[in-house]
Amino acid sequence: MEVSFMSYILLAIILFSMGIMGVISRKNIFIIYMSLELMLNSINLILVTLSKHFGNMDGQIIAMMVIAIAAAEAAVFLSLIVSLYRLKHSINIDDYNTLKQKGTL
Amino acid sequence: MDIGLLSFIIFLPLVIAFILMVLPFGMKMTRNIAFVTTIVVFLLSLSIFFRFRLADYMQFREFHPWITTYGIYYSLGVDGFSMIILMLTTTLIPLGYLFLWKTKKSKGYWISMLMIQAGVTGALLSLDLILFYFFWESMLLPVFMIIGIYGTGNRIFSTLKITIYTIMGSLFMFVSILYLGVQFYNEFGVWSFQLSDLVQITTMSRTQETLLFFGFMAAFAIKIPIFPFHTWLMQTYSNSPTGGVFILSSIMAKLGIYGIVRFVLPLFPHQYVEFAPYFVGLGIFGLIYFGIAALMQQNIKRMFAYSSASHLAFITAGIFSLNAYGMTGAAFLIVAHAMATGGLFLLTGTIEYDLGIRSISGLGGIAKKAPLLTVAFALMLLSIVGLPGTNGFVSEFLIVLGLFKYNHFAGIISATTVLVAASFMFWMFQRAILVRTDNDVSKMKDLDIKEVVGIFGLALVIIAMGLYPHWFLYKIEPTIQHYLIDILKVGVGS
Amino acid sequence: MSSYFLAWIVLIPLISAAFLGILYLYSITVKKISDKVFATIAITAPILSFMLGVGFFLGLKNGASEYIYEPYIWLGVNDYIINMGFLGDKLSIFMVLFITFIGSLIHIYAAGYMKGDDGYGKFFSYFNLFVASMLLLVLANSPIIMFIGWESVGLCSYLLIGFYFTDPLNVVAGNKAFIANRVGDLGFLIGLVYLFFYVGKLGFDYSALEQYIDIVPNHILVIIGSALFVGAMGKSAQIPLYVWLPDAMAGPTPVSALIHAATMVTAGVYMVARFHFLYDLIPNVGLFIAYIGAFSALFAAVIAMKQSDIKKILAYSTISQLGYMFIAVGLGAYSTGLFHVFTHAFFKALLFMGAGAIIIALHHEQNIFKMGGLRKRLPLIYIVMLVANLAISGIPPFAGFFSKDEILLKAYKHHEYLIYGIGLFTAALTAYYMFRLFFVTFEGKNYTEKKLEPLSWSMKAPLVVLAFGAAFSGFVGLPKVFSNTNLIDTWLGNWSGVSIHAEHYEEIIFMGVSVIAGLIGIAVAYVKFFKYDFSQELKEGGIVYNKFYIDELIDFLIVRRVRSLSTFISVVIDDGVIDKTVMSLSNGFINLGRRVGRMQSANTRMYAFFMLIGLSSFSLYLIFKLGQ
Repeated sequence: MEVSFMSYILLAIILFSMGIMGVISRKNIFIIYMSLELMLNSINLILVTLSKHFGNMDGQIIAMMVIAIAAAEAAVFLSLIVSLYRLKHSINIDDYNTLKQKGTL
Repeated sequence: MDIGLLSFIIFLPLVIAFILMVLPFGMKMTRNIAFVTTIVVFLLSLSIFFRFRLADYMQFREFHPWITTYGIYYSLGVDGFSMIILMLTTTLIPLGYLFLWKTKKSKGYWISMLMIQAGVTGALLSLDLILFYFFWESMLLPVFMIIGIYGTGNRIFSTLKITIYTIMGSLFMFVSILYLGVQFYNEFGVWSFQLSDLVQITTMSRTQETLLFFGFMAAFAIKIPIFPFHTWLMQTYSNSPTGGVFILSSIMAKLGIYGIVRFVLPLFPHQYVEFAPYFVGLGIFGLIYFGIAALMQQNIKRMFAYSSASHLAFITAGIFSLNAYGMTGAAFLIVAHAMATGGLFLLTGTIEYDLGIRSISGLGGIAKKAPLLTVAFALMLLSIVGLPGTNGFVSEFLIVLGLFKYNHFAGIISATTVLVAASFMFWMFQRAILVRTDNDVSKMKDLDIKEVVGIFGLALVIIAMGLYPHWFLYKIEPTIQHYLIDILKVGVGS
Repeated sequence: MSSYFLAWIVLIPLISAAFLGILYLYSITVKKISDKVFATIAITAPILSFMLGVGFFLGLKNGASEYIYEPYIWLGVNDYIINMGFLGDKLSIFMVLFITFIGSLIHIYAAGYMKGDDGYGKFFSYFNLFVASMLLLVLANSPIIMFIGWESVGLCSYLLIGFYFTDPLNVVAGNKAFIANRVGDLGFLIGLVYLFFYVGKLGFDYSALEQYIDIVPNHILVIIGSALFVGAMGKSAQIPLYVWLPDAMAGPTPVSALIHAATMVTAGVYMVARFHFLYDLIPNVGLFIAYIGAFSALFAAVIAMKQSDIKKILAYSTISQLGYMFIAVGLGAYSTGLFHVFTHAFFKALLFMGAGAIIIALHHEQNIFKMGGLRKRLPLIYIVMLVANLAISGIPPFAGFFSKDEILLKAYKHHEYLIYGIGLFTAALTAYYMFRLFFVTFEGKNYTEKKLEPLSWSMKAPLVVLAFGAAFSGFVGLPKVFSNTNLIDTWLGNWSGVSIHAEHYEEIIFMGVSVIAGLIGIAVAYVKFFKYDFSQELKEGGIVYNKFYIDELIDFLIVRRVRSLSTFISVVIDDGVIDKTVMSLSNGFINLGRRVGRMQSANTRMYAFFMLIGLSSFSLYLIFKLGQ
């Protein structure tokens, strides 16, 4: 059975939405990070799909680049989380509110 | 690129200010260099005064490309009206320095003073609206610093208030300038912000013109200030250091008037004539309103603020009187009032420096301790109240005459200025200077030799201008006639 | 005599004043300069001016019609040109002569009076400045230049009233004088503006004005005449602007003699005479002036009856005499008015200087009820004061008799019987209050046992000269019954055009009536005060003693209203309404910022949610936009 073009797009949208919901609703910073990766990969999926659909290799190349950058970004992100954890002793994102102005405004 | 005389006058103080900022000089060295700079500028402007031809066009023109893509040029020039204000500025500032000599402020004070001078003269001489706006706003920065750093009392609040208030007005003007530029582009297909070009726009409707007219007037009305945009004035004056209030009252306020005559009058002649009655009314109202308010002020600087506002309202009424008397008188009163009120602020600055007191009830009996100061104070005061023999009278007489010509009733009401100013000024003089009270004024010192030279030089000019006004007036006459006949088309009113 | 010297009549005292002022400042700040130097320079100036005046007088007498000197254009705005000009005609030279003559005498007197004062140099600087301003006033060739002098004399008056400025009362009096004068000047200025507006184009000197005054519509002339007269009311202390003059007596006595009796206060009379061509056209305004004069004369005389301060009595008497002058000029009898100006200058200056001598002798005592019995102790003063009193009371042959009698005659002949009646009654009152002063001061029991301060010759000599003047200056204007040539009338000319004819018998009857009125006044004063008993208690109080509470009324109705209005404006309107509006605008922005700032909760998931909403709506917009 030939899987239709729209199914790939739909899958990507579903994955993307799950990612967004994860970013918005979860407090654990690792889960948020994983949701972000999910969103990235859903975009990759769209890129690859479109690339195949149009018979053009550009999308595939960009997808490869995204994967590479995501890997690099993961390293930075994880190290940031480690130093944040040292600061706050927590991986709950609600504790990372240093930017909020204290006192009355 | 050749640099003309006017550029020298504008940029010499600015360049010196930047050099002084970088060099590690102390306060005294900075002050001396700044003073010499102002003297040089004064001599340069003197040469302009004597070489000025008796004509109505712009002289000493300078024209260089600046931002050519949008037709913005570095364009300078001087006519009769701006020349007298230029002379006033460059004369008053060195005289003021003689009084500020002993203030123990840091180097930044003197640098700011130089920068103010550059901004003021720049705004006075530029004929390109964008260039004008550039200088107009650049005056504010040093004023902001001089009040914020060296002021007294609630100085931060005051400095924010004057800055935001004036910028708010200026923004309306800026939008209007851009709008005019776009209109010019639409009509002629090239960009230009030259005053001489923008006056040729014909495609605007009356409504558009009226809106732009009020856009410009917003900036100038706040700067002057015209009732009811005056409340920044009192706070700022009372919290400013002597130098700041001296510049603000004697020069910067006059630039608002200058702006109206230079830009509003040629750009919107119809609206100028159409709305003249309202501004004459506001002016006469302000004259009496501020004059009465001045009567009961306790803070001497605040009182002078009201007094200045009263006179500036009178000047405003004069320039809107649409005839040669009113406008000549207004030009003359700009000079007369700047001298007298500047002198008064400098003298009050001396009193404040010696005694640290600004309230009228805290003073008294100064006359015995400081006779020279008292004489100088009295002379300035007489010019303010418009006593014949001083330049104040000539200008008041001419404005009253102009307003009378405009409308008999307006002239008669405005004549009460002789009464209003006299009552509050003399009452203040009595309480603060003459009558001995229980207050301790033993620390009061009389004027030193520098101050004597400065203030009595000023007094001599005041009296000379009162006894022989024609010598000072005839140079601006062609300009005024040009405004009235060629631009406003109302005739000189003979 | 070259007309160029007209300017020097004014310039000499002006330069002298400036020089004295600088010298005084030098003297108090650097090195003390002896009083003699100041006095010599100061006295020289008016004497030189007087000599120049005499030169011009002789020139005019020998046939020159007038001298005009116009050195430069004072002001010129599109074809309207006002010259700085001096005019020496018969009127102005007449004024110059008596101003400089009496001025010189009072300068000499003041050199003795002010002896030992800290502000000796300052006093003479102001005094010379006053003489210069007064001379400018009378010599000016255009109303504007006259106005320079007009206001400058007011300034000098202010400076000299508040001469001892450390005392608040003096400065308040000075301020009052200046403000009251300014009210008048406001009127004067309005008059000038009207005049300039209607005839300015044709030239603004007196001869041009006289020539072209006809082109002004009559109702405008009425406005001009009235407005100018408001100026005269202020300067010459007439109802309702007279209030400053009694207080002005706070100044040193020579000031009162020169400024507030002999010269400055008569400037209003001079002004009306100078503008005779204007007032001739508006007889109704003239009548109004005459009535104001008559009522001022009566009112001031009534107040003077109850005063106890010697200088205040004289001040009210000055107001009263000025009233007479305005009766004359108001009715068009300009030369008669100026005749009274002339005689009044002598006897009133004499009265003030005599009073000043008494005050000095009694160590600055001014209450007449604390003097007494001075006849034997100050015989010279007694004699000169007697002469002056007789002169002001209108007893022949002293000066006041001729001038006052002529005014009354003119009033009667104009059929203004009310004015005549008031004038006659006031003459009796004048005699009464002047002799009340005289008897209380010089007769009766000796009240003070203090040793008298000796008087210097420089104070006595001018008194004697003036006493001769007060006695004989009336002879320049003899009525027709005695002489066919009235010198004043021939010199000044009878401008009014209405020549009054009185038979000799009428003149004699009028003289008799006037003399009787004066004698009645003296008699009443004699009965009540010749043997005045100082032991009885002084009655101070009553509405007349308190000057009808006019000062209090003005204070209550005007001064306090204006002050509370001032507070109302600056506190309620400016701070309460306007500034509050402006500040609420800026506070509104601050509050808005606070509200928006609250959205920045630092909750990352919230931010992400906002992003989602924003992105979604933007995407939807694009989809629909592109889908079309």
